[in-house]
Amino acid sequence: MADPTERARDEFLSEAQEIVETLSRNLLDLDASVRSGSIDPALVNEAFRAVHTLKGLAGLFGAARLGHLSHRLEDVLDDLRLGRMVLSPEVLDALFAAIDVYGRLLSLEREGRDEPSPAAEELLARLERLGADAPNRSAPVTEYELDPGLLAVLTEYEEHRLRANLEQKMRLYRLRVEFDLTTIDKALEDMKTRAKRHGEIITYLPAGEATSADAIELDLLMASRDDLATLIGALGADNVVIEEIPRRRSSMLNEPARPTHGAMALSGAESVTPSVNAGDGALEQGPSLRSLTQTVRVDIRKLDALMNVVGELAIVRGAIARLADRLRIEGQRQLTAELQRLHRSFERRLAEMQAGILEVRMVPLGQVFDRLARVVRQIGREMSKEIRLVITGSETEIDKLIVEELSDPLMHMIRNAIDHGIEPSARRAEVGKPPAGTIALNAYQKGNHVMIEVEDDGRGIDEQAVLDKAVRLGKLAAEDAHELSREEVLALVFLPGVSTSATVNDLSGRGVGMDIVKTNIARLGGIIDVQSEPGIGTKMTITLPITLAIVSALMVHIADQVFAIPLSTVSEALSLDAGMSRTLDGREVITLRGQTLQLCRLDRVLSLERKKTPMPRKSYVVVVALGNRRLGVVVDHLVGQQDIVIKPLGRSLAAVRGFAGATELGDQRVGLVLDAAAIVDEAFSGSEAVREVGSLHG
Amino acid sequence: MADLVRAPAERVARRAAGRGPVREFLTFVLGADVFGVELHRVKEILSPPPITPVPRAPMEVVGVCSVRGLLVTVVDLRVRLKLEVRPDTRRTRILLATATSGEAVGLWVDEVLQVVRLSETDMELTTAGIGTEVSEYVLGVGRPQGEFIVLLDLAALVTG
Repeated sequence: MADPTERARDEFLSEAQEIVETLSRNLLDLDASVRSGSIDPALVNEAFRAVHTLKGLAGLFGAARLGHLSHRLEDVLDDLRLGRMVLSPEVLDALFAAIDVYGRLLSLEREGRDEPSPAAEELLARLERLGADAPNRSAPVTEYELDPGLLAVLTEYEEHRLRANLEQKMRLYRLRVEFDLTTIDKALEDMKTRAKRHGEIITYLPAGEATSADAIELDLLMASRDDLATLIGALGADNVVIEEIPRRRSSMLNEPARPTHGAMALSGAESVTPSVNAGDGALEQGPSLRSLTQTVRVDIRKLDALMNVVGELAIVRGAIARLADRLRIEGQRQLTAELQRLHRSFERRLAEMQAGILEVRMVPLGQVFDRLARVVRQIGREMSKEIRLVITGSETEIDKLIVEELSDPLMHMIRNAIDHGIEPSARRAEVGKPPAGTIALNAYQKGNHVMIEVEDDGRGIDEQAVLDKAVRLGKLAAEDAHELSREEVLALVFLPGVSTSATVNDLSGRGVGMDIVKTNIARLGGIIDVQSEPGIGTKMTITLPITLAIVSALMVHIADQVFAIPLSTVSEALSLDAGMSRTLDGREVITLRGQTLQLCRLDRVLSLERKKTPMPRKSYVVVVALGNRRLGVVVDHLVGQQDIVIKPLGRSLAAVRGFAGATELGDQRVGLVLDAAAIVDEAFSGSEAVREVGSLHG
Repeated sequence: MADLVRAPAERVARRAAGRGPVREFLTFVLGADVFGVELHRVKEILSPPPITPVPRAPMEVVGVCSVRGLLVTVVDLRVRLKLEVRPDTRRTRILLATATSGEAVGLWVDEVLQVVRLSETDMELTTAGIGTEVSEYVLGVGRPQGEFIVLLDLAALVTG
């Protein structure tokens, strides 16, 4: 492992990354709340805290650029949360821009590059231009029968929230709540959540005596539009007493302005507190000294190493099984029984361990979807198109490594969808579509696969334009163009140089994109399909394996070699007798339950030598299904099912297509793992077929 | 302890003889010639384990094998260096090394000979006049006691 300082630095970078991601989610929520017309002050406050923490972290690790930006952002967010600035779209744009700049700064930091970032400078200048613009308001705080002691301890933020609420003619309530000390954290959060539907909890303070030593009473100051009866109905309980704080009579209006002084002093003290919970009352500080989270951050490489150990244990397990067999043959009955019992127990534990490690690697797709939501917003604004993003299934889990590799391809697809798919709103109105275009991002699990769909309700792919482009680029002979099926035409968008749009502009449509998307997805062992209806929309579907670390595989013999086919891609296997297959359009096919299934003779495709194994009289077909494509892979015979750890082939074999990696077979030998996606792709590849046709014609 | 005492003494002796620093090379046979690579770059010498050929791989790749869980790409140096390929014998070995990319590479050689210590006066670290296509892999030649060894750059070999 790296030395401690480097490790601390790694931790810092990944923590900072996490905070930026949280901040990004926060801004998206904020954006939604602005659009719905009522800004949730808690969101602004959370964003402020996130940036405040980042500033602290950056200071600790001497990341000056990061610290400087955080400092400026903190000022802006402070102005926002204290009502000194109005949350306009421009301000929100600047905040969103900050997320990207943070990303850039973090990667510079990670590479240890100390150069200035023009993007950061530009953003700083932009933040500078956002001045405080809201007038300072004087709110009638003193008109209420508030305990001066309470007012004196309000932070500047809390005081601002109080004033803001009173300006909106909210009523004030005091909730005296008795909490059990052991569950107070959760109970208080719970209370806040429930109260949120009715108003805002401005502050809470210990109230004095409680009925027992294990309990504590808090006074919650709450502002709400609802009347007392409604609140009691919603929040009332045995341990909750709610009363309304009445307005003072006019004679009491001359109360000295003591609270303000107190608040100033306190907020001054607060700004030097490094605590993340700076805005909260003193009560939370006690428990928060202990770590509140039960989570640890783990480098994924450590999990890979563990998984390798598990893989090796599986090999040991195989050896034990063979030993048990030998003992049985030698007639050592009692020993055999004992060894087999141990073996079974070992096998079970090993499976549990494997499952456990796999589970740790799984993260929800929401991680990448959140980033995409930001992209959608940004592109929508750039293109002046109104986009409604609908996300479903963000809780679907997938291997962390896959998630990391997904964001670029998905971003390309979404850019394409907004740019080429969604029509300008005027055009949408003409065809009777709602002005806002919808992009749906759906994820769900299907067997051992995760499906991700990117769908738009735009104009659909112009098949003729795609065909013309493919012919112009020489990917397709003009006379063959009309022979392609619709599916085959749509698949042409994945060829280099062809795009989903006929026009070229800044954003996408230069024809780089979809072929790269396809390559990236294929590298993850996935495939991508496209469906499109003119005038209705386009849907791209990605099919991915859930994990890369360990897979169940069907082991097969072909010629002299053993190969593994990931079981997740296998739909069935059947025997193939001589005379079952026929030739259709130059391709060998069989009929399976009334449907035509294309065959793939791997021994020929891979030019395997048959030195030891002659061509068998009877062979087998393994039906590989990916997305909506099926291919019958012809093999000599089936060996059986085995859990395998796939190890990637080295750099010098990177150009070799058709293999996902290699795996140990347990007897010191290595077997190759077939890349089902690549093989299916190759078998169906329009370009390959077209090239063959082309060469026949040429 | 004995080593600690001897090491400086040896260095003194060497300097006195004016031979300069000594580099250790592992020598081996490929085809009809003797080659050497820097010893410290060789991680291990293996008897060939079962090797799985990789279809569609470049000619020089013999295949992949597993060394205690590590996946190794085995390269036939004779093909890489365009030398005569002789049938494998029981002396055939694999030199294990790590490429800069982190890939574990095994180099297939006909026979491993010995470790030779070459001082600067025994070496000619120039590739001029040695060859054509393979010169990028050649460090120079060594001439210990009248022998002729082609010194190869192992880093370039495993990365190339």
